Amino acid sequence: MTLERAPIIEVRDVGFSYPEAGVPALRGVNLTIREGEVVALVGQNGAGKTTLAKLFNGLLAPTQGEVVIRGQSTRKAGIDILSRIVGYCYQNPDHQIFSNTVRQEVAFGLKNHGVPKAEIEAKVHAALEMVGMEGEGDRYPFLLGRGERQKLAVASILALGPPVLVVDEPTTGLDLRGTRNIMELLSRLSEAGRTIVIITHDMNVVAEYAPRTVVMMNGAVILDGPTRAVLTDERALRSAFLKPPQITRVALRLHERAEGFAREILTVPEFIAEFRRLAGSGDANTASAARDGGS
Amino acid sequence: MPVGYSIYQERPSTLHQRIDPRTKLALLVTTFVLALAYNHPAVLGVLTAAIIAAAWWAQLDFRRFLPILLAAGWFLVLGIIIWPFYIQVGPPLFFVLGAAITLTGLLFGVAMGLRVALMVAAAGVWMMSTSPQKMTLGLVKIGLPSKAGVAMSTAIRLVPLINAKRATIAEAQRARGLRLDTGNPVSRARKSVSILGPLLLSSIDLAQALAIAMDARGFGARRDRTSLVEIRMTTLDWAIITGCVVAAVGSVILRLLGVGVIVQGYL
Repeated sequence: MTLERAPIIEVRDVGFSYPEAGVPALRGVNLTIREGEVVALVGQNGAGKTTLAKLFNGLLAPTQGEVVIRGQSTRKAGIDILSRIVGYCYQNPDHQIFSNTVRQEVAFGLKNHGVPKAEIEAKVHAALEMVGMEGEGDRYPFLLGRGERQKLAVASILALGPPVLVVDEPTTGLDLRGTRNIMELLSRLSEAGRTIVIITHDMNVVAEYAPRTVVMMNGAVILDGPTRAVLTDERALRSAFLKPPQITRVALRLHERAEGFAREILTVPEFIAEFRRLAGSGDANTASAARDGGS
Repeated sequence: MPVGYSIYQERPSTLHQRIDPRTKLALLVTTFVLALAYNHPAVLGVLTAAIIAAAWWAQLDFRRFLPILLAAGWFLVLGIIIWPFYIQVGPPLFFVLGAAITLTGLLFGVAMGLRVALMVAAAGVWMMSTSPQKMTLGLVKIGLPSKAGVAMSTAIRLVPLINAKRATIAEAQRARGLRLDTGNPVSRARKSVSILGPLLLSSIDLAQALAIAMDARGFGARRDRTSLVEIRMTTLDWAIITGCVVAAVGSVILRLLGVGVIVQGYL
Protein backbone atom coordinates (compact mmCIF):
# COMPACT_ATOMS: atom_id res chain seq x y z
CA MET A 1 0.00 0.00 0.00
CA THR A 2 2.83 2.38 0.92
CA LEU A 3 4.38 2.14 -2.52
CA GLU A 4 1.24 3.50 -4.15
CA ARG A 5 1.49 6.82 -2.33
CA ALA A 6 3.17 9.78 -4.00
CA PRO A 7 6.66 10.73 -2.81
CA ILE A 8 6.63 13.90 -0.71
CA ILE A 9 10.32 14.00 0.24
CA GLU A 10 12.99 12.80 -2.17
CA VAL A 11 16.65 12.89 -1.19
CA ARG A 12 18.86 12.17 -4.17
CA ASP A 13 22.52 11.34 -3.64
CA VAL A 14 22.83 14.11 -1.07
CA GLY A 15 26.05 15.16 0.59
CA PHE A 16 26.47 17.97 3.09
CA SER A 17 29.47 19.48 4.85
CA TYR A 18 29.40 22.18 7.50
CA PRO A 19 31.87 25.01 6.86
CA GLU A 20 35.24 24.36 8.52
CA ALA A 21 34.23 20.77 9.41
CA GLY A 22 36.77 18.20 8.33
CA VAL A 23 34.31 15.34 7.91
CA PRO A 24 31.15 15.54 5.78
CA ALA A 25 27.96 15.42 7.85
CA LEU A 26 26.10 13.54 5.07
CA ARG A 27 27.46 11.27 2.35
CA GLY A 28 25.52 9.94 -0.64
CA VAL A 29 22.13 9.81 1.08
CA ASN A 30 19.21 8.52 -0.97
CA LEU A 31 15.78 8.42 0.65
CA THR A 32 12.18 8.66 -0.47
CA ILE A 33 9.41 9.38 2.00
CA ARG A 34 5.86 8.99 0.75
CA GLU A 35 2.74 10.88 1.76
CA GLY A 36 1.22 9.67 5.01
CA GLU A 37 4.24 7.63 6.13
CA VAL A 38 5.53 7.64 9.69
CA VAL A 39 9.30 7.28 9.54
CA ALA A 40 11.74 7.07 12.43
CA LEU A 41 15.26 8.40 11.87
CA VAL A 42 17.64 6.73 14.30
CA GLY A 43 21.39 6.68 14.82
CA GLN A 44 23.98 7.65 17.38
CA ASN A 45 24.81 11.31 18.09
CA GLY A 46 26.51 12.89 15.09
CA ALA A 47 25.15 10.29 12.65
CA GLY A 48 23.57 13.05 10.55
CA LYS A 49 19.87 12.69 11.48
CA THR A 50 19.20 16.33 12.34
CA THR A 51 21.34 17.60 9.46
CA LEU A 52 19.33 15.45 7.04
CA ALA A 53 16.04 16.69 8.51
CA LYS A 54 17.16 20.32 8.21
CA LEU A 55 17.61 19.76 4.48
CA PHE A 56 13.89 18.92 4.21
CA ASN A 57 12.67 22.46 4.89
CA GLY A 58 15.58 24.37 3.41
CA LEU A 59 17.23 25.37 6.70
CA LEU A 60 20.31 23.84 5.09
CA ALA A 61 21.07 23.40 1.41
CA PRO A 62 22.83 20.24 0.21
CA THR A 63 26.43 20.71 -0.88
CA GLN A 64 25.94 17.78 -3.26
CA GLY A 65 22.85 16.16 -4.80
CA GLU A 66 19.30 17.37 -4.49
CA VAL A 67 16.39 17.37 -2.05
CA VAL A 68 12.97 17.55 -3.67
CA ILE A 69 9.88 18.39 -1.62
CA ARG A 70 6.58 17.80 -3.39
CA GLY A 71 8.32 18.16 -6.73
CA GLN A 72 10.20 21.35 -5.78
CA SER A 73 13.94 21.42 -5.34
CA THR A 74 14.90 22.97 -2.00
CA ARG A 75 17.61 24.94 -3.80
CA LYS A 76 14.94 26.87 -5.70
CA ALA A 77 12.05 27.02 -3.23
CA GLY A 78 12.79 29.31 -0.29
CA ILE A 79 12.19 28.52 3.35
CA ASP A 80 8.97 30.59 3.19
CA ILE A 81 7.48 28.02 0.79
CA LEU A 82 9.13 24.97 2.31
CA SER A 83 8.17 25.81 5.88
CA ARG A 84 4.51 25.53 4.87
CA ILE A 85 5.12 22.03 3.50
CA VAL A 86 7.60 20.70 6.06
CA GLY A 87 7.04 21.78 9.65
CA TYR A 88 10.13 21.33 11.80
CA CYS A 89 9.67 20.95 15.52
CA TYR A 90 12.85 21.43 17.52
CA GLN A 91 14.00 19.17 20.32
CA ASN A 92 13.88 21.92 22.92
CA PRO A 93 10.58 23.85 22.84
CA ASP A 94 12.23 26.67 24.78
CA HIS A 95 14.27 27.46 21.67
CA GLN A 96 11.21 28.92 20.02
CA ILE A 97 8.73 30.01 22.70
CA PHE A 98 8.81 33.74 23.44
CA SER A 99 5.24 35.06 23.43
CA ASN A 100 3.17 36.13 26.43
CA THR A 101 0.31 33.75 25.73
CA VAL A 102 -0.11 30.32 24.22
CA ARG A 103 -2.42 31.80 21.59
CA GLN A 104 0.13 34.44 20.52
CA GLU A 105 2.83 31.80 20.30
CA VAL A 106 0.76 29.65 17.94
CA ALA A 107 -0.15 32.70 15.86
CA PHE A 108 3.51 33.72 15.36
CA GLY A 109 4.17 31.60 12.27
CA LEU A 110 0.83 32.53 10.72
CA LYS A 111 1.62 36.23 11.06
CA ASN A 112 5.04 35.64 9.49
CA HIS A 113 3.30 34.10 6.51
CA GLY A 114 0.88 37.02 6.20
CA VAL A 115 -2.27 35.03 7.01
CA PRO A 116 -5.28 37.40 7.34
CA LYS A 117 -6.25 38.20 10.94
CA ALA A 118 -9.70 36.66 10.53
CA GLU A 119 -8.18 33.31 9.56
CA ILE A 120 -5.50 33.34 12.24
CA GLU A 121 -7.97 32.92 15.10
CA ALA A 122 -9.60 29.89 13.50
CA LYS A 123 -6.26 28.28 12.65
CA VAL A 124 -4.89 28.89 16.14
CA HIS A 125 -8.00 27.35 17.68
CA ALA A 126 -7.78 24.33 15.37
CA ALA A 127 -4.08 23.80 16.12
CA LEU A 128 -4.63 24.02 19.89
CA GLU A 129 -7.55 21.61 19.58
CA MET A 130 -5.37 19.14 17.69
CA VAL A 131 -2.86 19.02 20.54
CA GLY A 132 -5.53 19.02 23.24
CA MET A 133 -4.74 22.52 24.53
CA GLU A 134 -7.90 24.31 23.44
CA GLY A 135 -8.55 25.65 26.94
CA GLU A 136 -5.01 26.95 27.47
CA GLY A 137 -4.96 29.81 24.97
CA ASP A 138 -4.53 32.59 27.53
CA ARG A 139 -1.91 30.88 29.66
CA TYR A 140 1.65 32.09 29.97
CA PRO A 141 3.73 29.55 27.99
CA PHE A 142 6.69 29.52 30.36
CA LEU A 143 4.49 28.34 33.23
CA LEU A 144 3.46 25.21 31.32
CA GLY A 145 5.12 21.86 32.06
CA ARG A 146 7.77 20.52 29.70
CA GLY A 147 5.31 18.14 28.01
CA GLU A 148 2.79 20.94 27.51
CA ARG A 149 5.47 23.23 26.08
CA GLN A 150 6.43 20.45 23.68
CA LYS A 151 2.80 20.20 22.58
CA LEU A 152 2.66 23.98 22.21
CA ALA A 153 5.73 23.85 19.96
CA VAL A 154 4.00 21.21 17.84
CA ALA A 155 0.80 23.30 17.75
CA SER A 156 2.70 26.38 16.58
CA ILE A 157 4.02 24.36 13.64
CA LEU A 158 0.68 22.63 12.98
CA ALA A 159 -1.04 26.00 12.69
CA LEU A 160 0.85 26.52 9.44
CA GLY A 161 -0.86 23.39 8.11
CA PRO A 162 2.24 21.56 6.85
CA PRO A 163 1.51 18.12 5.35
CA VAL A 164 4.89 16.93 6.71
CA LEU A 165 5.91 17.21 10.35
CA VAL A 166 9.51 16.60 11.40
CA VAL A 167 9.88 16.22 15.15
CA ASP A 168 13.37 16.20 16.58
CA GLU A 169 13.60 14.00 19.68
CA PRO A 170 10.06 14.74 20.85
CA THR A 171 10.28 12.59 23.97
CA THR A 172 13.56 13.87 25.43
CA GLY A 173 13.09 14.96 29.02
CA LEU A 174 9.55 13.63 29.22
CA ASP A 175 8.25 11.05 31.67
CA LEU A 176 6.29 8.01 30.46
CA ARG A 177 3.00 9.87 30.54
CA GLY A 178 4.43 12.84 28.64
CA THR A 179 6.00 10.51 26.10
CA ARG A 180 2.68 8.72 25.55
CA ASN A 181 0.82 12.02 25.19
CA ILE A 182 3.14 13.40 22.56
CA MET A 183 3.40 10.12 20.62
CA GLU A 184 -0.35 9.61 20.64
CA LEU A 185 -0.69 13.15 19.32
CA LEU A 186 1.68 12.28 16.49
CA SER A 187 -0.30 9.08 15.82
CA ARG A 188 -3.51 11.10 15.55
CA LEU A 189 -1.84 13.51 13.15
CA SER A 190 -0.66 10.56 11.09
CA GLU A 191 -4.16 9.11 11.01
CA ALA A 192 -5.37 12.48 9.76
CA GLY A 193 -3.04 12.04 6.75
CA ARG A 194 0.12 13.87 7.77
CA THR A 195 3.56 12.54 6.99
CA ILE A 196 5.58 12.28 10.19
CA VAL A 197 9.35 12.04 10.51
CA ILE A 198 10.52 11.33 14.05
CA ILE A 199 14.16 11.77 15.02
CA THR A 200 14.72 9.77 18.17
CA HIS A 201 17.04 7.69 20.30
CA ASP A 202 14.14 5.92 22.02
CA MET A 203 13.89 2.51 20.38
CA ASN A 204 10.70 1.70 22.29
CA VAL A 205 9.04 4.72 20.70
CA VAL A 206 10.28 3.55 17.30
CA ALA A 207 8.96 0.02 17.89
CA GLU A 208 5.56 1.21 19.01
CA TYR A 209 4.82 4.14 16.72
CA ALA A 210 6.90 4.07 13.50
CA PRO A 211 6.09 1.54 10.77
CA ARG A 212 9.31 2.44 8.91
CA THR A 213 12.78 3.04 10.29
CA VAL A 214 15.86 4.59 8.73
CA VAL A 215 19.17 3.95 10.47
CA MET A 216 22.01 6.40 9.93
CA MET A 217 25.68 6.14 10.73
CA ASN A 218 28.55 8.50 9.91
CA GLY A 219 26.36 10.56 7.60
CA ALA A 220 25.03 7.64 5.55
CA VAL A 221 21.83 5.59 5.57
CA ILE A 222 22.84 2.04 6.45
CA LEU A 223 19.41 0.49 6.92
CA ASP A 224 15.96 1.47 5.68
CA GLY A 225 12.86 -0.67 5.86
CA PRO A 226 9.87 -1.82 7.89
CA THR A 227 10.58 -1.27 11.57
CA ARG A 228 9.92 -4.94 12.35
CA ALA A 229 12.69 -6.00 9.98
CA VAL A 230 15.09 -3.22 10.99
CA LEU A 231 14.77 -3.67 14.75
CA THR A 232 15.31 -7.40 14.55
CA ASP A 233 18.49 -7.03 12.49
CA GLU A 234 20.73 -7.01 15.55
CA ARG A 235 23.98 -7.23 13.64
CA ALA A 236 23.27 -4.16 11.50
CA LEU A 237 22.00 -2.22 14.51
CA ARG A 238 25.09 -3.16 16.49
CA SER A 239 27.30 -1.75 13.74
CA ALA A 240 25.46 1.58 14.22
CA PHE A 241 25.89 1.31 18.02
CA LEU A 242 22.16 0.75 18.48
CA LYS A 243 20.21 -1.93 20.30
CA PRO A 244 16.70 -3.23 19.63
CA PRO A 245 14.16 -2.72 22.45
CA GLN A 246 14.76 -5.02 25.40
CA ILE A 247 11.61 -7.06 24.73
CA THR A 248 12.74 -7.64 21.13
CA ARG A 249 16.12 -8.88 22.34
CA VAL A 250 14.42 -11.26 24.79
CA ALA A 251 12.22 -12.53 21.96
CA LEU A 252 15.22 -13.02 19.69
CA ARG A 253 16.98 -15.09 22.36
CA LEU A 254 13.82 -17.14 22.95
CA HIS A 255 13.45 -17.65 19.21
CA GLU A 256 16.96 -19.15 19.14
CA ARG A 257 16.20 -21.48 22.04
CA ALA A 258 12.47 -22.21 21.96
CA GLU A 259 11.12 -23.85 18.87
CA GLY A 260 8.23 -22.00 17.30
CA PHE A 261 8.66 -18.73 19.20
CA ALA A 262 8.15 -15.82 16.79
CA ARG A 263 11.29 -13.85 15.93
CA GLU A 264 9.98 -10.37 15.16
CA ILE A 265 8.47 -9.16 18.42
CA LEU A 266 8.54 -5.42 19.07
CA THR A 267 6.28 -4.71 22.05
CA VAL A 268 5.33 -6.21 25.38
CA PRO A 269 1.70 -6.97 24.31
CA GLU A 270 3.06 -8.84 21.29
CA PHE A 271 5.40 -10.77 23.53
CA ILE A 272 2.62 -11.73 25.94
CA ALA A 273 0.36 -12.81 23.09
CA GLU A 274 3.12 -14.95 21.60
CA PHE A 275 3.94 -16.44 24.99
CA ARG A 276 0.30 -17.30 25.58
CA ARG A 277 0.05 -18.84 22.14
CA LEU A 278 2.99 -21.11 22.82
CA ALA A 279 1.79 -21.90 26.33
CA GLY A 280 -1.47 -22.94 24.81
CA SER A 281 -3.69 -20.39 26.48
CA GLY A 282 -4.05 -18.31 23.33
CA ASP A 283 -4.15 -18.99 19.68
CA ALA A 284 -2.02 -18.13 16.70
CA ASN A 285 -4.51 -15.52 15.54
CA THR A 286 -4.20 -13.54 18.79
CA ALA A 287 -0.41 -13.36 18.51
CA SER A 288 -0.53 -12.49 14.86
CA ALA A 289 -3.13 -9.80 15.52
CA ALA A 290 -0.92 -8.32 18.24
CA ARG A 291 1.98 -8.07 15.79
CA ASP A 292 -0.21 -6.58 13.07
CA GLY A 293 -1.35 -3.95 15.54
CA GLY A 294 2.26 -2.93 16.08
CA SER A 295 4.69 -1.81 13.43
CA MET B 1 43.34 24.30 27.11
CA PRO B 2 39.79 25.16 26.15
CA VAL B 3 40.87 26.37 22.72
CA GLY B 4 37.43 26.00 21.17
CA TYR B 5 35.72 28.11 23.84
CA SER B 6 37.30 31.43 22.92
CA ILE B 7 39.07 33.12 20.06
CA TYR B 8 42.39 32.02 21.59
CA GLN B 9 44.67 30.15 19.20
CA GLU B 10 47.33 27.79 20.50
CA ARG B 11 50.61 28.61 18.74
CA PRO B 12 54.29 27.90 19.50
CA SER B 13 55.21 31.62 19.29
CA THR B 14 57.19 33.54 21.89
CA LEU B 15 54.18 35.77 22.53
CA HIS B 16 52.08 32.71 23.35
CA GLN B 17 54.55 30.56 25.22
CA ARG B 18 57.24 32.72 26.78
CA ILE B 19 55.50 35.91 27.81
CA ASP B 20 53.54 35.97 31.06
CA PRO B 21 49.85 36.98 30.80
CA ARG B 22 50.52 39.87 33.22
CA THR B 23 53.20 41.15 30.85
CA LYS B 24 50.79 40.85 27.93
CA LEU B 25 48.23 42.81 29.92
CA ALA B 26 50.89 45.49 30.55
CA LEU B 27 51.59 45.55 26.79
CA LEU B 28 47.87 45.98 26.08
CA VAL B 29 47.49 48.79 28.63
CA THR B 30 50.60 50.50 27.23
CA THR B 31 49.17 50.26 23.71
CA PHE B 32 46.00 51.94 24.98
CA VAL B 33 48.03 54.70 26.68
CA LEU B 34 50.02 55.27 23.45
CA ALA B 35 46.81 55.28 21.40
CA LEU B 36 45.35 57.96 23.66
CA ALA B 37 48.57 59.97 23.99
CA TYR B 38 48.89 60.80 20.30
CA ASN B 39 46.38 62.13 17.82
CA HIS B 40 48.61 62.27 14.75
CA PRO B 41 47.64 59.75 12.05
CA ALA B 42 51.28 58.97 11.19
CA VAL B 43 52.09 57.91 14.76
CA LEU B 44 48.86 55.97 15.17
CA GLY B 45 49.37 54.39 11.72
CA VAL B 46 52.83 53.16 12.73
CA LEU B 47 51.43 51.77 15.99
CA THR B 48 48.60 49.98 14.13
CA ALA B 49 51.13 48.50 11.69
CA ALA B 50 53.18 47.36 14.69
CA ILE B 51 50.15 45.54 16.12
CA ILE B 52 49.51 43.79 12.79
CA ALA B 53 53.20 42.85 12.71
CA ALA B 54 52.84 41.46 16.25
CA ALA B 55 49.91 39.32 15.05
CA TRP B 56 52.11 38.00 12.24
CA TRP B 57 54.98 37.39 14.67
CA ALA B 58 52.60 35.50 16.97
CA GLN B 59 51.68 33.25 14.01
CA LEU B 60 47.99 34.02 14.37
CA ASP B 61 45.67 32.63 11.73
CA PHE B 62 44.89 35.69 9.61
CA ARG B 63 41.53 34.23 8.53
CA ARG B 64 40.51 34.48 12.19
CA PHE B 65 42.23 37.82 12.72
CA LEU B 66 40.67 39.37 9.59
CA PRO B 67 37.17 39.87 11.08
CA ILE B 68 38.78 41.83 13.93
CA LEU B 69 40.72 43.95 11.43
CA LEU B 70 37.55 44.52 9.40
CA ALA B 71 35.69 45.61 12.53
CA ALA B 72 38.61 47.94 13.27
CA GLY B 73 38.41 49.19 9.67
CA TRP B 74 34.82 50.28 10.27
CA PHE B 75 35.98 52.62 13.03
CA LEU B 76 38.45 54.11 10.58
CA VAL B 77 35.65 54.75 8.09
CA LEU B 78 33.43 56.26 10.80
CA GLY B 79 36.28 58.50 11.99
CA ILE B 80 36.85 59.84 8.47
CA ILE B 81 33.12 60.48 7.98
CA ILE B 82 32.33 62.10 11.34
CA TRP B 83 35.38 64.06 12.61
CA PRO B 84 35.95 66.45 9.63
CA PHE B 85 32.60 68.07 10.46
CA TYR B 86 33.90 69.01 13.93
CA ILE B 87 37.58 69.84 13.19
CA GLN B 88 37.66 72.82 10.89
CA VAL B 89 41.31 73.90 11.22
CA GLY B 90 43.05 75.27 8.11
CA PRO B 91 41.77 76.23 4.66
CA PRO B 92 38.71 74.34 3.37
CA LEU B 93 39.27 71.62 0.79
CA PHE B 94 35.58 71.28 -0.14
CA PHE B 95 32.12 71.68 1.37
CA VAL B 96 29.63 68.99 2.41
CA LEU B 97 26.10 70.07 3.38
CA GLY B 98 27.46 73.58 3.91
CA ALA B 99 30.24 72.44 6.25
CA ALA B 100 33.85 73.18 5.33
CA ILE B 101 35.99 70.03 5.19
CA THR B 102 39.69 70.69 5.83
CA LEU B 103 42.80 68.55 5.37
CA THR B 104 43.53 68.74 9.10
CA GLY B 105 39.95 67.64 9.83
CA LEU B 106 40.30 64.65 7.50
CA LEU B 107 43.68 63.68 8.99
CA PHE B 108 42.26 64.02 12.50
CA GLY B 109 39.37 61.74 11.43
CA VAL B 110 41.89 59.20 10.16
CA ALA B 111 43.75 59.49 13.47
CA MET B 112 40.63 58.97 15.57
CA GLY B 113 39.61 56.00 13.45
CA LEU B 114 43.11 54.56 13.73
CA ARG B 115 43.06 55.09 17.49
CA VAL B 116 39.98 52.90 17.96
CA ALA B 117 41.16 50.45 15.28
CA LEU B 118 44.49 50.19 17.10
CA MET B 119 42.77 49.42 20.42
CA VAL B 120 40.45 46.86 18.83
CA ALA B 121 43.31 45.14 16.97
CA ALA B 122 45.51 45.14 20.10
CA ALA B 123 42.72 43.63 22.20
CA GLY B 124 42.21 41.03 19.44
CA VAL B 125 45.89 40.02 19.46
CA TRP B 126 45.83 39.90 23.28
CA MET B 127 42.78 37.59 23.35
CA MET B 128 44.04 35.41 20.50
CA SER B 129 47.45 34.93 22.12
CA THR B 130 46.44 34.50 25.79
CA SER B 131 44.49 31.43 26.87
CA PRO B 132 41.43 32.22 29.04
CA GLN B 133 42.90 30.14 31.87
CA LYS B 134 46.19 32.04 31.88
CA MET B 135 44.42 35.35 31.39
CA THR B 136 42.29 34.71 34.47
CA LEU B 137 45.23 33.43 36.47
CA GLY B 138 47.22 36.53 35.54
CA LEU B 139 44.43 38.81 36.73
CA VAL B 140 44.05 36.85 39.98
CA LYS B 141 47.82 37.14 40.59
CA ILE B 142 47.63 40.92 40.30
CA GLY B 143 44.86 41.11 42.89
CA LEU B 144 41.57 40.27 41.21
CA PRO B 145 39.42 38.14 43.61
CA SER B 146 39.43 34.52 42.44
CA LYS B 147 35.63 34.51 42.17
CA ALA B 148 35.79 37.46 39.80
CA GLY B 149 38.48 35.65 37.82
CA VAL B 150 36.24 32.60 37.44
CA ALA B 151 33.32 34.85 36.49
CA MET B 152 35.46 36.42 33.78
CA SER B 153 36.70 33.13 32.32
CA THR B 154 33.16 31.70 32.51
CA ALA B 155 31.80 34.70 30.63
CA ILE B 156 34.39 34.13 27.88
CA ARG B 157 33.54 30.43 27.81
CA LEU B 158 29.80 31.10 27.50
CA VAL B 159 30.09 33.43 24.50
CA PRO B 160 30.38 30.70 21.82
CA LEU B 161 27.76 28.56 23.62
CA ILE B 162 25.29 31.43 23.66
CA ASN B 163 26.14 32.17 20.03
CA ALA B 164 25.36 28.55 19.14
CA LYS B 165 22.04 28.86 20.98
CA ARG B 166 21.28 32.05 19.09
CA ALA B 167 21.86 30.21 15.80
CA THR B 168 19.54 27.35 16.87
CA ILE B 169 16.81 29.75 17.99
CA ALA B 170 17.10 31.74 14.76
CA GLU B 171 16.72 28.47 12.82
CA ALA B 172 13.67 27.49 14.87
CA GLN B 173 12.01 30.85 14.13
CA ARG B 174 12.99 30.71 10.45
CA ALA B 175 11.26 27.33 10.34
CA ARG B 176 8.09 29.22 11.32
CA GLY B 177 8.53 31.66 8.46
CA LEU B 178 10.43 34.45 10.23
CA ARG B 179 12.42 36.55 7.75
CA LEU B 180 14.99 38.64 9.57
CA ASP B 181 16.53 39.92 6.36
CA THR B 182 13.44 41.79 5.19
CA GLY B 183 11.60 44.88 6.38
CA ASN B 184 12.69 48.27 7.71
CA PRO B 185 14.95 48.65 10.76
CA VAL B 186 11.96 49.03 13.12
CA SER B 187 10.27 45.85 11.93
CA ARG B 188 13.59 44.00 12.03
CA ALA B 189 14.09 45.14 15.62
CA ARG B 190 10.59 43.91 16.48
CA LYS B 191 11.27 40.58 14.78
CA SER B 192 14.48 40.13 16.73
CA VAL B 193 12.41 39.91 19.94
CA SER B 194 11.46 36.39 18.84
CA ILE B 195 15.14 35.48 19.02
CA LEU B 196 16.26 37.61 21.96
CA GLY B 197 13.41 36.39 24.22
CA PRO B 198 14.23 32.68 24.07
CA LEU B 199 17.96 33.49 24.00
CA LEU B 200 17.73 35.48 27.23
CA LEU B 201 15.76 32.75 28.99
CA SER B 202 18.06 29.99 27.69
CA SER B 203 21.12 31.96 28.79
CA ILE B 204 19.72 32.49 32.29
CA ASP B 205 18.91 28.79 32.41
CA LEU B 206 22.43 27.92 31.27
CA ALA B 207 24.04 30.23 33.83
CA GLN B 208 21.82 28.93 36.63
CA ALA B 209 22.60 25.30 35.80
CA LEU B 210 26.30 26.12 35.72
CA ALA B 211 26.10 27.92 39.07
CA ILE B 212 24.37 24.93 40.68
CA ALA B 213 26.93 22.54 39.18
CA MET B 214 29.77 24.69 40.56
CA ASP B 215 28.15 24.97 43.99
CA ALA B 216 27.72 21.20 44.03
CA ARG B 217 31.49 20.85 43.53
CA GLY B 218 32.34 23.18 46.38
CA PHE B 219 33.00 26.42 44.54
CA GLY B 220 33.41 29.24 47.06
CA ALA B 221 34.14 26.92 49.97
CA ARG B 222 37.62 28.45 50.27
CA ARG B 223 38.77 31.99 49.62
CA ASP B 224 41.64 30.97 47.36
CA ARG B 225 41.79 28.23 44.79
CA THR B 226 44.77 26.27 43.55
CA SER B 227 45.44 26.16 39.83
CA LEU B 228 46.56 23.44 37.44
CA VAL B 229 48.40 26.04 35.37
CA GLU B 230 51.27 27.94 36.99
CA ILE B 231 52.66 31.19 35.64
CA ARG B 232 56.01 32.80 36.47
CA MET B 233 57.58 36.15 35.62
CA THR B 234 60.95 35.84 33.86
CA THR B 235 63.73 38.31 33.08
CA LEU B 236 62.18 38.80 29.64
CA ASP B 237 58.88 39.75 31.28
CA TRP B 238 60.50 42.29 33.58
CA ALA B 239 62.42 43.76 30.63
CA ILE B 240 59.19 44.13 28.63
CA ILE B 241 57.35 45.67 31.59
CA THR B 242 60.20 48.15 32.08
CA GLY B 243 59.93 49.01 28.38
CA CYS B 244 56.15 49.45 28.78
CA VAL B 245 56.58 51.85 31.71
CA VAL B 246 59.21 53.88 29.81
CA ALA B 247 57.00 53.98 26.68
CA ALA B 248 53.89 55.00 28.64
CA VAL B 249 55.62 57.72 30.68
CA GLY B 250 57.57 58.90 27.60
CA SER B 251 54.40 59.16 25.53
CA VAL B 252 52.73 61.31 28.20
CA ILE B 253 55.79 63.60 28.34
CA LEU B 254 55.90 63.85 24.52
CA ARG B 255 52.20 64.63 24.51
CA LEU B 256 52.76 67.45 27.00
CA LEU B 257 55.55 68.74 24.73
CA GLY B 258 53.15 68.66 21.78
CA VAL B 259 54.91 65.85 19.89
CA GLY B 260 52.68 63.48 17.85
CA VAL B 261 49.73 65.86 17.98
CA ILE B 262 47.96 67.16 14.89
CA VAL B 263 45.24 69.19 16.63
CA GLN B 264 45.83 70.81 20.01
CA GLY B 265 43.02 70.82 22.56
CA TYR B 266 41.64 67.41 21.61
CA LEU B 267 42.59 64.13 23.26
